[in-house]
Amino acid sequence: MKKSTYIYRRFERFWHWSQVLLIFFLVLTGFEIHSSYEFFGFENAVKWHNIAAWAFLVLIVFAIFWHFVTGEWKQYMPTTKYMMAQINYYIFGIFKGAPHPTHKTVYNKFNPLQRFTYLGLKLLVIPVQVITGFIYMFYMYPENPIHIGGLSVFALIHTLGAFSLIAFVILHVYLTTTGETPLTSIKAMLTGWEVVDVDEQEEHAEHLKNAVKYSIAGYYRLDENGNFLDVNEAWLKMYKCTDKEQIIGKHYSITRKEDDVKELDEVVKQVFEGKIIKAVPATRICKDGSLGKHILSANPTYAGGDITGMEGFIIDITDLDVNSEHLHYAVKNSQAGYYRVNCKGYYEDVNDAWLNLYGYEREEVLGNHYSLSRTKEDLHILDDMIAKIMKGKSISNMIATRKRKDGSVAKHIVSANPVYKNEEVVGMEGFILDISNIETKL
Amino acid sequence: MDLKELTKNKFLRALLLFMVVLLPWFIAIIIVNNSSEKEEAVTVKIINYKADSLSSPVDHSKFEILQQKFETPQQVTEACLTCHNKTGNDIMHTSHWKWARPYVNEKGDTIELGKKNIINNFCIGIESNEPRCTSCHIGYGWKNKDFDFTAEKNIDCIICHDQTGSYKKFPTAAGNPVTEETMFDGKKFLPPNFNSIAQNVGLPKRENCGSCHYFGGGGNNVKHGDIEKVLTKTTRDIDIHMGIDGENMTCTACHASDKHDIQGQLYSVSSYNQNRTTCEQCHTETPHENKILNQHTDRVACQTCHIPTYAKDAPTKMNWDWSTAGRHNEDGSITVEKDSNGTMAYHGMKGDFKWEKNVKPEYYWFNGNAKHYLVGDKVEDTTLPVQINTLLGNYADANAKIIPVKVHRAKQIFDPINKILIVPHLFGKDSTSYWKNFDWNKASITGMKVVNLPYSGKYSFINTEMYWPLSHMVSAREDALSCVDCHSRDGRLANLAGFYMPGRDYSQILDTIGFLLIILSFVAVVIHGLLRYFSKK
Repeated sequence: MKKSTYIYRRFERFWHWSQVLLIFFLVLTGFEIHSSYEFFGFENAVKWHNIAAWAFLVLIVFAIFWHFVTGEWKQYMPTTKYMMAQINYYIFGIFKGAPHPTHKTVYNKFNPLQRFTYLGLKLLVIPVQVITGFIYMFYMYPENPIHIGGLSVFALIHTLGAFSLIAFVILHVYLTTTGETPLTSIKAMLTGWEVVDVDEQEEHAEHLKNAVKYSIAGYYRLDENGNFLDVNEAWLKMYKCTDKEQIIGKHYSITRKEDDVKELDEVVKQVFEGKIIKAVPATRICKDGSLGKHILSANPTYAGGDITGMEGFIIDITDLDVNSEHLHYAVKNSQAGYYRVNCKGYYEDVNDAWLNLYGYEREEVLGNHYSLSRTKEDLHILDDMIAKIMKGKSISNMIATRKRKDGSVAKHIVSANPVYKNEEVVGMEGFILDISNIETKL
Repeated sequence: MDLKELTKNKFLRALLLFMVVLLPWFIAIIIVNNSSEKEEAVTVKIINYKADSLSSPVDHSKFEILQQKFETPQQVTEACLTCHNKTGNDIMHTSHWKWARPYVNEKGDTIELGKKNIINNFCIGIESNEPRCTSCHIGYGWKNKDFDFTAEKNIDCIICHDQTGSYKKFPTAAGNPVTEETMFDGKKFLPPNFNSIAQNVGLPKRENCGSCHYFGGGGNNVKHGDIEKVLTKTTRDIDIHMGIDGENMTCTACHASDKHDIQGQLYSVSSYNQNRTTCEQCHTETPHENKILNQHTDRVACQTCHIPTYAKDAPTKMNWDWSTAGRHNEDGSITVEKDSNGTMAYHGMKGDFKWEKNVKPEYYWFNGNAKHYLVGDKVEDTTLPVQINTLLGNYADANAKIIPVKVHRAKQIFDPINKILIVPHLFGKDSTSYWKNFDWNKASITGMKVVNLPYSGKYSFINTEMYWPLSHMVSAREDALSCVDCHSRDGRLANLAGFYMPGRDYSQILDTIGFLLIILSFVAVVIHGLLRYFSKK
């Protein structure tokens, strides 16, 4: 799956383009010192070659730091895997329009040839240039403290390094044109964004993680004693809390009226016995003492086979006046389903619960338009909803009718919020909780 | 977004990209090109120097002893010594008097090395030719080997201390002035007025030093190239220190003396790195504001950059070919030829000369020590020029610096059988002197007999070279050499081997490989690109 991805981070781009300028400038002044031409004047050339060298050194220090801190150095670990395939591609495949033998991803930005070449630059050419450059600078008249018998060897190695860098630049610049279009790679290095392969598993994990973080469905997690370990922003909002610290470590009983605690005790007891509570309505007591209604899901959390606590989602239904009492009891057996669609309405991701509710397999859904999952009559409601979301609004609850794979329909409550990227809405996501049981009961 | 807006936007984007790519270049190039040091008034850092403003503490005209009627110059000296009664002894120890300095030879023996036992590249050797050569000695009567170097009365005080400018030694009188009016080479020499001179003595002026040092080799600027009579009254264009519009310094401002032993070494006769007069004694070893220039002073002498040319006024003798001497005109007179500049290109007594003006120095490593060809030394390799003196030091020698040198080349008379340079008897009115009889054989027999060396009876001529380090005629800083005078492919140091110098040195092989690497990359890219382009179509 290909997707526009942010693969070159800000420092990386700054480092790359500063390096471009510095290498060009060092070559320009360096070959004047080599008496290849006259341009700046010898004295100026020497002076600015030295200044640029120091600037380069500072940049290198920052770059080394950056590579280790971000772990990006791993990108340069050499590999022979696909090396021949890559060489074959440049010699033969490229002319036949064959696909690139390796795929760029955020975690594997470089093909084997790039890894090998860039590592060579980082570990050989640039260090050699720096060391010989330093000897050049500080051993101008080499006798102390170590007698090195003249600059000759070092100067010649430095010159060789300069020639190799020029050759590298020529090939490097040319090879940037072998991307999707001739300018794709350069644009990517300027903006940071490029359409690359994404790992579906990784993406899925990323979506789920973000879903919890940014969703308007509240998330909570309790430890084995029933004390709060974690909650998300939406949860805090629903409980009208401003500070997470006020909740973490507290017992769940503070979230209920005295009379209602027993009800929750029962839920918690069941979950600690290993049951999954798909949906149960509840009345919460907020921080300011006001009451609110929500539906909650709960499941045990495990560590090494033992239940270590529980977690789940809550969706606010305070404003859902329609049959709220009924809903309270009716959606008992539902389970929160997660979905994500892009700005054009195509499914990007869904979770297992969602699939369960709709009766589809994941492959049958991803990349398809949401119309797949709606009756024709209902479609305009969802269109309106998407239009709202795209304007940046959120919908905390709404009753909707879904069309399952087998053609049957069912009702659920849906929450939706925009997905942002670079401050722009690029899609929407949310949870659904099944309420079809109510309908039948009613 | 309609099409018009889109194109506009694209154009703006392209423009922005163009700016992003090119702007840093424009800025960098403008900054770098405008960063060359601006010509500002510079204060030159000076230590240990204060212009001399001391007036003479005594009025010599008031001394009775100086009012007596002097008949001979020796009487003047005796009068001086009555008061300066330790100075005679001091003088006896100076090289100005001895014309020699102690030298430890290869065997480890200390010998006196000086004009008596070295050869020079002009009039060759002084022995058997004394009266002519010793006209520049600070003594009276060094006519031959028997001169008494302990007789204080023979010291010539006034050649250095005369302030009247009227005292002159006669060119062929072994250091004596004339006793009656005499003509020499078209110039009139008068007996000195000793009373006037003795009552007007003082610290040596430029003319005093110059009376000998300007004219070494028998004429103005013949030997040194950087010391000549123009320095008596000169401008800063010629010498920044001595120019009357410059610092207006006298010789003794730098060449200070201790008990009449004057600081400074000239390596035509000196051998050791001691008691030298240096630029650093006033200017320090780090006189520049630019760090890299200061680093240069480790291995480059100040003179190298600051004396871009020498013989800036009068030409200096660069070449002397003795082998062509002896020609006479049809009327029997000695042949003399002048070149277009009016300098002597040929003289029947001496041979062919080459003179040059505004000469670029040659450059050598020098650690302050020198070796000399001593009279009687065997010439090992007769195919190479005989090194009359050798400036020691090379790149590997940490004490050696690059210095500018006047190299004087000559062809001297040589005994090919004994392989030694001949000291010919040139001057004299006898029957063997070359300048009277024009017979090299006779002159060689007499000359070699006087120096106690064998002469095979055969003579030839051999190439010789003599090295004259340059320290005078320093130019103003704006006229000093710039980087590329040396840091370029065929710069001034093109022949100085043994080390790598940026801008001068490169490896032909490496540069070829590097150039091919670039060309190959380029060609590969173009071919690959074209194949891609056409295969896609």
